[in-house]
Amino acid sequence: MELLRPSSVDELDGGLFIHGGTEVVPLLRDGIVRAETLVDVRGVVPRGVTGGRIGAGTTLAELEADARVPDALREACRLAASPQLRNMSSLGGNLLQSTRCWYWRLKFPCRLHDGERCHAADGEHREHAIFGNDYCASAHPSDVAAALLALDGRVRTTRREIALAELYRLPDEADRRMTTLEPGELILEVEVQPPAASTYLKAMDRKRWSFPQVGVAAARTGGGTRIALAGVAPVPWLLDGPEDVERATPLPRTAWKVDVARALVRRALAELG
Amino acid sequence: MARLIRTEKEVEGRFEEVWLVVEEDPLEQWPAGPGEVVGRPAVRKDALERVRGEARYTADIRLPGMLHAALLRSPYAHARVRRIDLAPALALPGVRAAIGPGEAPGLDAEAGYAGAPVAAVAAETDAQARAALEAVDVEWEKLDAVLDPEEAVERGILHGEPERYERGDFDRAVAEADVVVESTYRTQVVLHNSMETHQSVCEWIGDRLDIHTSTQYVWGVRAEVARELGIAADRVRVVCEYMGGGFGSKNSAGEYTFAAAELARRTGRPVRCALTRREEHVAAGNRNATLQRLTVAARSDGTITALGGDFINALGWGGWSAATEGPLKMLYACENVRTTRSTAKINTPPMKAFRAPGFVEGTFGLECLIDELAARLDVDPLELRRMNYASSNDGTPFSSKNLAQCYERARKHWDRRHAVRARSDATWKRGVGMASQIWYGGGGPPSYAWTRVGSDGRITVVTAMQDIGTGTRTAMAQIAAEELGVPLDRVEVTLGDTARGPYATLSAGSSTTPSIGPAVRAAAADAKRQILEIAAQRYDLEERILDIRNGTIVSADGNLSVGLAEFLELLGSAQILGKGARGPNPTGMSVLTFGVHVVEAAVDVETGEVRVERVAAVHDVGRIVNPLGAESQVEGGIIQGIGHTLSEQRLMDEETGRVLTTSLDAYRMPTIADVPEIVCEFVDEPDAHLTNLGSKGLGEPPIVPIAAAIANAIRDATGADVHELPVSREEMLRALREAEKKERRGAPAAV
Amino acid sequence: MKLVINGDEHEVDAPVGASLAAVLRERLGLTGTKIACNEGHCGACTVMIDGVPVLSCITLAHSVEGEVTTIEGLRDHPLVDAFVRADAVQCGFCTPGQVVSAAALVAARPTPTEEEIRHAMAGNICRCGTYPKIEEAILHWRD
Repeated sequence: MELLRPSSVDELDGGLFIHGGTEVVPLLRDGIVRAETLVDVRGVVPRGVTGGRIGAGTTLAELEADARVPDALREACRLAASPQLRNMSSLGGNLLQSTRCWYWRLKFPCRLHDGERCHAADGEHREHAIFGNDYCASAHPSDVAAALLALDGRVRTTRREIALAELYRLPDEADRRMTTLEPGELILEVEVQPPAASTYLKAMDRKRWSFPQVGVAAARTGGGTRIALAGVAPVPWLLDGPEDVERATPLPRTAWKVDVARALVRRALAELG
Repeated sequence: MARLIRTEKEVEGRFEEVWLVVEEDPLEQWPAGPGEVVGRPAVRKDALERVRGEARYTADIRLPGMLHAALLRSPYAHARVRRIDLAPALALPGVRAAIGPGEAPGLDAEAGYAGAPVAAVAAETDAQARAALEAVDVEWEKLDAVLDPEEAVERGILHGEPERYERGDFDRAVAEADVVVESTYRTQVVLHNSMETHQSVCEWIGDRLDIHTSTQYVWGVRAEVARELGIAADRVRVVCEYMGGGFGSKNSAGEYTFAAAELARRTGRPVRCALTRREEHVAAGNRNATLQRLTVAARSDGTITALGGDFINALGWGGWSAATEGPLKMLYACENVRTTRSTAKINTPPMKAFRAPGFVEGTFGLECLIDELAARLDVDPLELRRMNYASSNDGTPFSSKNLAQCYERARKHWDRRHAVRARSDATWKRGVGMASQIWYGGGGPPSYAWTRVGSDGRITVVTAMQDIGTGTRTAMAQIAAEELGVPLDRVEVTLGDTARGPYATLSAGSSTTPSIGPAVRAAAADAKRQILEIAAQRYDLEERILDIRNGTIVSADGNLSVGLAEFLELLGSAQILGKGARGPNPTGMSVLTFGVHVVEAAVDVETGEVRVERVAAVHDVGRIVNPLGAESQVEGGIIQGIGHTLSEQRLMDEETGRVLTTSLDAYRMPTIADVPEIVCEFVDEPDAHLTNLGSKGLGEPPIVPIAAAIANAIRDATGADVHELPVSREEMLRALREAEKKERRGAPAAV
Repeated sequence: MKLVINGDEHEVDAPVGASLAAVLRERLGLTGTKIACNEGHCGACTVMIDGVPVLSCITLAHSVEGEVTTIEGLRDHPLVDAFVRADAVQCGFCTPGQVVSAAALVAARPTPTEEEIRHAMAGNICRCGTYPKIEEAILHWRD
């Protein structure tokens, strides 16, 4: 294995991108991703906050402490992962993290590993999805992605600029990928318009250092209020409105998440006023 | 004088009849209350090297030429190795040796759970060893696997026969009772998760085997290895000077030790075998799940007339069946008790003792049941407990029991409940719950210690015990300092090496201090006696008027005052040696520890979140040697207990029997952010019948009552009966819905 | 590969993919840094890079750019004595990582509140449950 450290976008030419390494390093060790060439992109990806533009290389710890960052995103960063992981992990990397589904992490031959069934749906799924879960029951673990989805963030990559919602896709039989990023495409920046108000509420089973059981981000702008959820679907999940919670399709052991989501959505909206 | 006795020996609540050679214990106990050193807070003797990262754990042992071993584990819950070919692994770079089933103890052709070890490889690096595992060619014969404990019981797939116990006439008492409450409780599989994983480094030196291992029992490992390898025990040396936690899971040698020993023998090089965290979650032991169908019957005045329980211990492939029914049999005065305990043998990872095995689980069920009874009778839960106080253990007197005093001290915490409840609002309901604790912890013989007193007046206590992180090294130094009349900083303790000290018992079952402490005191007393004998001759004084106080030899008539170091200069490079042994436990008495926890908890009734806000713990464990270390033990037990009450759960795939929560993001132990306010009190009365010290163990008691106390606080706050651990949001919301239904049906909720 | 550790420069030969924790422990003999989970979940392996606490077990040694501080570089830090005095150590296996996280915290906030301590220290798991004493040690680290 080799490690390249390019200093500009022009030097990018294949390989596996790595930034903070908090996701890629464990996946490499487990053989879930493989690479001959690692590309340390810290010299390429912008870092820091300029107006509404946030460099994708900004760490969660930096965002957590930056008063210019909208509340929902800041709180999502504050409650994400552990302090050391927040120090290491980049905004862009966080958006691209994989599910914590134990079947997937342990390489059961599930659909995301090109297998034929969802082991979680048939098996131990109490921490899994309540939306979009008929093909794959995994839950997306990013607090930050839900916050940015509520904030209607936009993502600039090395090739295009898209709404954050367009970064994600539900896997299906024909295409099991969960993002729309092309090979070699790299997230450079995220753009967020300041909302009138925003918030992020997170249910965990310990007070810190837990992936979201249910995360609820809400943001109010001139155009209305957007609500997005973490930990409830294979991708960050945008609700059409608070009543959308009732359209959840929980698995036998994830019905409790609907109750939690309902309560947190109500509280988030109440907080926005 | 040595004496041979036939006695019942207790370890972790397990009893066996054994012959024991014990020595008399002629020393009078010190008076109650703090002495010069004992009973006063002391910082740990070994804190500095641990904090600075200088303490060398097994994980840090690097021997010249050392190889790394990895274990091949079964992918199936139940399977047999029909054929195994190690050659492809041996052909890989760096691989030096490989062994298969039957070639080391613990590597068996029959794999009884997914993760059972069947083969091992040693290579130059850990990565090479693990890569080589993939190359081992195994033909598996899959066997019938049973994963559901209730199914196992139905089909009679058990470890041993069901244990039955009855006193009085249970059926009649239930029939005649005014109130009968029946409830079913479930507790989950909990993982020890010592920060240092199970591991050993083995090296053959001539015909001697040196083992560095992370263990709670150096002598146990020595005996087990000698027996299994068929070599003399004195050819085995076991070393564990520092260890990174055990909690009951490191009481025996383990297949990693045997694999390392065999691979070391074959290669002629030291071999290290260390479990990864993921292996630790699968194959390092666990607190087994239980199912408890409990009954309590009472008269309307609150007198408990019958207690019954059908217990299933879901043991897994191995381990031993702990007395889950113990608290139900012993905690309350009740004439009619009937219990049955079936031990399901299922194809899941083996149980290992985990901090008060059985009693943690059984206390959750019993103490929740008692509160459900209190709610039904509309009696104050504290009063109900006091009303049914047991003054003997079914006729056998207690060596000491101050639970009543614990209740009395708990009252001020219990009395906060009105104020706590008043702080409830629409979403956060607050309440207070309590639970009592009963558990063993008396220790027992044999254990031995030596003391060495040098010409500089400094003392070394030598005993091949372990300090697994509980601070026993410090407690032993305090005991020796107290007895010898010297300041604590004059005493060092050498431990953790079977080649460097006498036998001492295991550090488990809350037995270290009560077992080894009295031996250390006896060894210190022996040295002191010799010093005073010599002083009497040197100064031509009567020995009986001499004493050592604060490092100075003094005479009662005030004529002599000479520093110990100054006096002992006459020794030159020689030493005074003291020897001490642990005396017998009192005969015909139950030696037990007691306590009570009062918990304040808050429940978010919409999201099912439970927060433990305050825990008051009052424990009765005899004399407290080091109040600071004791407080740390209590806090640690409570925090570990909060983990298994609220967030920890080992999950398994029911189809394959594979453990799913193999990493610490999925198996969630408390962090610093989860810690409530903890108030810690001790009765601190020496047990007058127990040894020259009067101390019992404290490692386990604090984890015993916490889950029930939290569950009872939840009931007080919300009226909901939680019946399952952990109290996840799912379980909490279920219990709340159930309580609502009950209320709608018109049954009064508890609040 | 060149690493600056506790102020000293080290020339290290290790394959790409090796973790910083492995290099510290296996190549440089700096065994104060412990590995307890080896996948970034427990904090036992915490070291600082340019003063910022990171998990050395999932940090690729070759990607390290700044100056590394391990427990060996903090042995004379007043926090060490504070941990000893407060009994903020039981088995001690997580403790070096705790001290590194705490050192970064008190460098940024010399008088942290309880809430700040709990937020900053939540990535260091202690199975013995030494947390109340750790909190006390950090609250009183300069006493």
